[in-house]
Amino acid sequence: MIIKDLNHNSLLKENSKLDLEALNLGSFPKRKEERWKYTPLRFLKKINFHNQFNFKIEHLNSLGIPKIEGLVIVLENGKFNSSLSNIIDLMDIELLFLNDGDIVNNSQEPSHKDYFTNLNFSFLTEKVVLKIKPNVNINEPINFVNIISDDNCISNTQFNIDIYENSKLHIRQYFLGSSNSKDGFINHRNQVSLKSQSSLTVDKFQDLNQNFNFCNEFIDQEQESKFIMNTFSASGIILRNDVFNNVNGKNCHSELNGVFAPIEKQHFDNHTTINHFVADCKSFENYKGVIKESGVGVFNGKVIVHQDAQKIEAFQKNNNILLDDESKIYSKPELEIYADDVRCSHGSTTGRFDEEALFYLRSRGISVKKSLELMTLGFINEVIEKSNDSAYKEFVLKRLLKD
Amino acid sequence: MSELLIEIKDLECNIDNQKILQGLNLKINKGEVHAIMGPNGSGKSTLSSVLAGNDNYEVTNGSINFLGEEISEMSPEERSWKGMFLAFQYPVEIPGVSNINFLRTALNERNKYFGIDSIPAKDFLKMVAEKSELVGLNNKLKNRSVNEGFSGGEKKRNEIFQMAMLDPKLSILDETDSGLDIDALKIVANGVNKLKSSENATVVITHYQRLLDYIVPDFVHVLHEGKIIKSGDKSLALELEKKGYDWLKNDENI
Repeated sequence: MIIKDLNHNSLLKENSKLDLEALNLGSFPKRKEERWKYTPLRFLKKINFHNQFNFKIEHLNSLGIPKIEGLVIVLENGKFNSSLSNIIDLMDIELLFLNDGDIVNNSQEPSHKDYFTNLNFSFLTEKVVLKIKPNVNINEPINFVNIISDDNCISNTQFNIDIYENSKLHIRQYFLGSSNSKDGFINHRNQVSLKSQSSLTVDKFQDLNQNFNFCNEFIDQEQESKFIMNTFSASGIILRNDVFNNVNGKNCHSELNGVFAPIEKQHFDNHTTINHFVADCKSFENYKGVIKESGVGVFNGKVIVHQDAQKIEAFQKNNNILLDDESKIYSKPELEIYADDVRCSHGSTTGRFDEEALFYLRSRGISVKKSLELMTLGFINEVIEKSNDSAYKEFVLKRLLKD
Repeated sequence: MSELLIEIKDLECNIDNQKILQGLNLKINKGEVHAIMGPNGSGKSTLSSVLAGNDNYEVTNGSINFLGEEISEMSPEERSWKGMFLAFQYPVEIPGVSNINFLRTALNERNKYFGIDSIPAKDFLKMVAEKSELVGLNNKLKNRSVNEGFSGGEKKRNEIFQMAMLDPKLSILDETDSGLDIDALKIVANGVNKLKSSENATVVITHYQRLLDYIVPDFVHVLHEGKIIKSGDKSLALELEKKGYDWLKNDENI
């Protein structure tokens, strides 16, 4: 694999075409590989990507998101866009970008090497590093907005979040595709390091319209740290999230939640791996799929309890609603347990809405469309409620319900 | 002269190709209370489902004229907007949807149909407070998911609460007395009575005469094999209580 000098991006000249399959980045994933069994990569292969870094968006509100307050870091078409960003000087926070030499020196080899990780490192267009000093509690969420607004643009971005001992942070990530762009691709990597007794909540919202978004997430947790990630997938041709949550210290809390709502042949894929390397930790997973109009959903969650990781409590569930006969879900909850004193469960359900309930709502004067919306809301509410900001919740719901 | 609310003529309907209603006729004027009684399997619940527009039932013949309009092909929601209400025998649980959100949506959907603005939150909450008192609905239940974890009595009270909120022209109470203890029965009946006016009508479907002590009917009809075989005043219910249904079935056979 090729790791480029990050300052140059010399491999990819402006206006040159990028054929993903022809790149020397290790073998392009194939459907016969278990991890890629359900992801239709032929769409990606067909596109000739470029990375001219045009900024096209004038105001964030043209993307249909609510007004974002506080620190806002915006990347557009793979580059930091300072005019859309709001970089306020927050004490106790260190913020670095790719052009700052420090980052380049610190850039580490990926621990997990697969095609899209290699692609990300080789053609990295922007990297943001956020460091929170020890013993700091930052109440206001920090916002990270990653936009694709140019047709066929490929954006390989990274966001590193280092939270030092006993600090607490809340991050909102928006992955957005402008409504008039198509076949753009954000290949993003989040790398999170949680030192002991630190805490991070990430609300991640994906609304790519006619574009693609893959996210590789690597989370390393030290003892007594807490990590919560809520992933809301609203639109995109293919969205894929691969979460690798490594729990390396005792008494950690790890929580992965998600709602994915593909329609019209969209394909939303959630792969998660939680590695319990040590004892006395808890993990929770709760993913809900609402799939209609030939949408396709995938949930593949894996919890691995390693040898000697005793007293682990790990609960994983995936519930899905299919709204019509054309929609599909592939659900695979997995548990691998090599310790003998643990409490773990996993489960998956897939069904349709109850006809009786639909009639009940309609008999009260609620139209079919609104009734299905209400029942969908009821179904996903449990996960939406994890976010405590009512304006954000309302916005996310609206987009998930395609209202 | 009282005004006609609904007229059902020669109504026949099937479920899974089985004939349930076989030529049912019924006329209800505004301001009236009708009781429909009859043995198990006579078609009582089918009648209520058909009136509310449940499309599991197929109307094969006859007509339902509601406020001057033929409704047998109309969607359940449109019937509701026009003033039809069915209090379900088995109210459905809807997980994750709060009772309050459900009702606000119902009212707003109706307003939308009539081109009226959404009800302001303040007015809505005031209305909720007023109407829930009518059936003594516990405050906590209003914020809980629709019918989820409600006791049998609470579910029935919730039906009458919804009825109060929607203020229908025609209310059909399908075995609202089933599963109610005597105190709950009184509360529910009391609520129904308070909602009665010269502008609306109530159909009480029941097995037993007991409910009719509290909701006094102007007319009592006996349904048997999908037809009304006898109509009378409230004394008919008392007679049925004493003699059962067999004498009527036999009567008809002669």
